[in-house]
Amino acid sequence: MSDTNKKTVISVKDLYKIYRVGESKVRALNGVSFTIEKGEFCAIVGTSGSGKSTLLNMLAGLEKPTKGEIVIVGEHMETKNENQLVKFRREHIGFIFQSFNLLASMNAIENVAMPLTFQGMAKEKRIKKAEEVLELVGLSKHKKHKPTQMSGGQQQRVGIARALVVQPEIIFADEPTGNLDSRTSAEVMALIKKIIREKNQTLVMVTHDDHLASFADRIFRISDGKIISIENGTRE
Amino acid sequence: MKFRDMLRMSGSSLWKRKVRTILTVLGVVIGTASIVVMISLGLGLKRASMSEIEQYGGLTTITVSEQGSYYGGYDDSETEIQASTEHLSDDVVETIRGIEHVEDVYPVLDTEALALSGGYQSYISLRGVSAEKMKDLGIKLGQGEFPEPNAGQLQAVYGNMVIGEFHNEKTGQGYWYNGEMAEVDLMADTIMYVFDMDAYYNFLWGNTAEDGTSAPMPKKRIVKTAGVIEGSVEDYNSNSYYVFCDIDELKRVLKKEFKNKIIPGQPTTAGGKAYKEIFYTAIMVEVDDMNYVQQVQSEINALGYQASSNAEWVQSMQGQYNYIQLALGGIGAVSLIVAAIGIANTMMMSIYERTKEIGIMKVLGCDMRNIQGLFLLEAGYIGFIGGVIGLGLSYGLSAIINLVVKNLNLGMNMAVGISYIPLWLALVSLVFAVFVGMAAGFFPSLRAMQLSPLAAIRNE
Repeated sequence: MSDTNKKTVISVKDLYKIYRVGESKVRALNGVSFTIEKGEFCAIVGTSGSGKSTLLNMLAGLEKPTKGEIVIVGEHMETKNENQLVKFRREHIGFIFQSFNLLASMNAIENVAMPLTFQGMAKEKRIKKAEEVLELVGLSKHKKHKPTQMSGGQQQRVGIARALVVQPEIIFADEPTGNLDSRTSAEVMALIKKIIREKNQTLVMVTHDDHLASFADRIFRISDGKIISIENGTRE
Repeated sequence: MKFRDMLRMSGSSLWKRKVRTILTVLGVVIGTASIVVMISLGLGLKRASMSEIEQYGGLTTITVSEQGSYYGGYDDSETEIQASTEHLSDDVVETIRGIEHVEDVYPVLDTEALALSGGYQSYISLRGVSAEKMKDLGIKLGQGEFPEPNAGQLQAVYGNMVIGEFHNEKTGQGYWYNGEMAEVDLMADTIMYVFDMDAYYNFLWGNTAEDGTSAPMPKKRIVKTAGVIEGSVEDYNSNSYYVFCDIDELKRVLKKEFKNKIIPGQPTTAGGKAYKEIFYTAIMVEVDDMNYVQQVQSEINALGYQASSNAEWVQSMQGQYNYIQLALGGIGAVSLIVAAIGIANTMMMSIYERTKEIGIMKVLGCDMRNIQGLFLLEAGYIGFIGGVIGLGLSYGLSAIINLVVKNLNLGMNMAVGISYIPLWLALVSLVFAVFVGMAAGFFPSLRAMQLSPLAAIRNE
């Protein structure tokens, strides 16, 4: 992790998320505070139900916090309405899903170019950009393939390309290798890490897998809605 | 998001679900076609009866006649009309010309005569109109030409049914009696008119004149034929029974024939004597717009003359046809409403199926308005495609209906067809189909817009 160019991109302060289940209250997040610097690769690790996914959803503006503040690239997420959140995601955030979530009717290029379509980019320009990113993830031979014609690993590479194509400040990944076998998982993780290092991009990944988490610069361990430890990653 | 991209995206998602799209479109096709065909029937009926009315005399023509005369159709106005003091003279023509909205005024002089030709004879209704006006009356000639103005002699234009009136002088049989057409060629044969028919029969039956001497044979006048109106002997129109001639020539001839005797059809003085002047039988008034006919008519009534027109008849008829059209359109609309429910259902299904897809799009930053727009466009597409095909189907059905009705020959004037789709109806129905599609897709699209992006994150 380079100490030059230190700049906070995510800052979370006293974040609470409380669900009402019948009479009782469930504290999914119970006072979480941390900051993430630009270019950092952070893993949020926890068991199922620990609140890690809730945290990621709130960082990405998919859920509203009950209390607390989230500041991403200088903007308060908790005060935005849904339209503003959508706009914010369109401009600043890339998202990698566990189950890839590619649109079955579109081929690889079209899937990758989709976020650019939402930005209103002209067709030739966005196709060109999508091709570049697909080459970056090593899929230049599968540009015209539909998701069903590709393996899980290939599909997730398309997913990664789609997250990268808008050149976002932050990439969120929700169990990005959850649907892949262990060998492919390692390959995909290595690819993700390589690319974000090259582009000096910030990545926040949620996982329950300690092995995968070890790819990260820092590991946030979360349990019962609280961060119990922050460790430095073991590999470089 | 660019509009073109939205069009492409919603188009392709319809294409992805072909069978369902086709079925939904089919509903709109049937809905559109039923509305368009129903309305086209209403319009066609209206048009057919309007053109029929036009053949019974124009829609903007008022016939002015003297009070108490039975000229010119019926007049059902209940208003108390003061008796006319003046007969229809040139002064009256000028007075009427001064009324607002009156476009044209011309006098008509009707009289009767006996036409003789090669052993055949016929009583004819002679109608004197100024030579220039004959063309404007909507008369179409089948043979010959219109008489020239100021020709210096009487020239006749025969209505197409007049020939049927000629009958054998001895047997009295003619076309209307036994279907045998008189052997008279109106264009080529010499036709003579007897105007003073009383004198003619007095002579024939050997009666004595008032002074005791035997009645002399009245003069027979050769009348040249200028033309014959288009149409067969069976084709009725408002002109088909008349023999037209120039009004000034007719006046001249009548004055010469009758000298100071009473001309048939002319009013007499209180003492039963003939006037010096020849008065008109009727005055025709052309109004510039159908909507002013009644107004002009009541002004003429106020002058003390009897005025009649087709206006009231036409107006009540138009009102009736508007009701018929509304009723027919309403029946057609029912099936379009059913189609709209079909569209809403299809869109709803589609949204449930695509919950995840919509969620992904939201996570990736697709604007909420764009999402709504995509679904509205899909529904609009269904409406548009259904509308276009439905319109094509309507034109086809309309042609078939017209063909069938033509062959059935229902006795109405079917030259124009009973089903009629004007351009405005085609355009309106297309816009309406798209509108119905979008209206049906509105609530589903709202729902799509409000779906939570979390659905995309949930792992199944």
